Amino acid sequence: MLDESMPQGDDLLAAELVLGLLREEEQREALARSATDPAFAALVAGWQERFVPMTDAIAPVNPRRRAKKRLLKRLFDTGPVPLSQRLWVWKGLSFAALAAAAYLGVQQLAVDPPSGADAIYATQLSGTETPLQVLAVLDLAKGDIALNRVAGTEAEGRSFELWAIVPEAAPVSLGVLTAQSTMRVSLPQSLRDRAGELTLAISDEPAGGSPTGAPTGSVLAAAPLTEL
Amino acid sequence: MDRQEIETLIGRVAMNDRAAFSALYDATSAKLFGVCLRVLHNRSAAEDAMQDSFVKVWKHASRYQSNGLSPMTWLITIARNTSIDRLRATRKGHMDIDTPGLELAASTAGPEQLAVAAGEARRLTGCLDELAEDRGAAVRGAYLDGHSYADLAERFSVPLNTMRTWLRRGLISLRECMSRE
Repeated sequence: MLDESMPQGDDLLAAELVLGLLREEEQREALARSATDPAFAALVAGWQERFVPMTDAIAPVNPRRRAKKRLLKRLFDTGPVPLSQRLWVWKGLSFAALAAAAYLGVQQLAVDPPSGADAIYATQLSGTETPLQVLAVLDLAKGDIALNRVAGTEAEGRSFELWAIVPEAAPVSLGVLTAQSTMRVSLPQSLRDRAGELTLAISDEPAGGSPTGAPTGSVLAAAPLTEL
Repeated sequence: MDRQEIETLIGRVAMNDRAAFSALYDATSAKLFGVCLRVLHNRSAAEDAMQDSFVKVWKHASRYQSNGLSPMTWLITIARNTSIDRLRATRKGHMDIDTPGLELAASTAGPEQLAVAAGEARRLTGCLDELAEDRGAAVRGAYLDGHSYADLAERFSVPLNTMRTWLRRGLISLRECMSRE
């Protein structure tokens, strides 16, 4: 029953959503709306900013040291041995993707087989929110990365930009993905020695790539390279 | 650590940079833990909630850049909502409030618009005090103690619909007060 004297409006609904006051069904609808309706999302964000100063008076309290240890273990405990990490990554790859990566590797690298000393690294970049799928194979003999876009299309007027990331350094742009499904990009010399700790990521950028040299849009996919 | 530095760290976390995640934890965990403690009043529950919050931060950092929130607002909102979910989990008819902001659509609010909201926000405390005393208390009770309309109605001994009308009017006054020069 609607109380006629009750003030109405999206802005109030947004405030109630942020406070957590809505009933189950209303909340589900409002949450779904906040995920799809940019105007409503802006109202929600506005109330989040308005209410957060209620926490200003709350003094910081240092958590126990072991809280951080437990957290890092929970997130990253793939064992200290790199091998287990590689196995873990491969377990995440579907058989089809693995076959495709192997095919891509053979197709594009067979002409000039890598010497025994040069390892081959590969990964599969899968979008968490968008149906983006890119297979990447790094050939250290040539110092370049072969890319195969299996799925995913840029939004109108936007580009997918590929980034190489090593720990404790800013992401390095490897360029934007071209319209062709396969392409090769060169990996800067300084990163070739660090292939084992390299993560690749794809972000959504203005057409032609980030104007700043650093990622500016959402990160659509990220995955560490692993030795084949 | 200033806003820009925290923003940069979140951006690097979005790219799976573990060192950045560790630095972000060092810079913000005390504040987030304080917030969790305030909501939950229990050290071990608060520690769990803080940990869950950082797991969400790790998993959803890529969503941060598009939602337009200030970085501390985003982090504190996640900690507050995670804590309130945990608090409510012990109550009957519980439903997660989730975190709008993890799923928030790329907002039409430009940085300027949200900067205005953030500027207004500084006036919150004064404006809450300006509200009729119990309305201010109701807003605080919802935000910091996870009270639902039903809880509030019981606490203030009014019918639920009256409570909602009341609080909505309070929110309108609050918005007006905060946007005043």
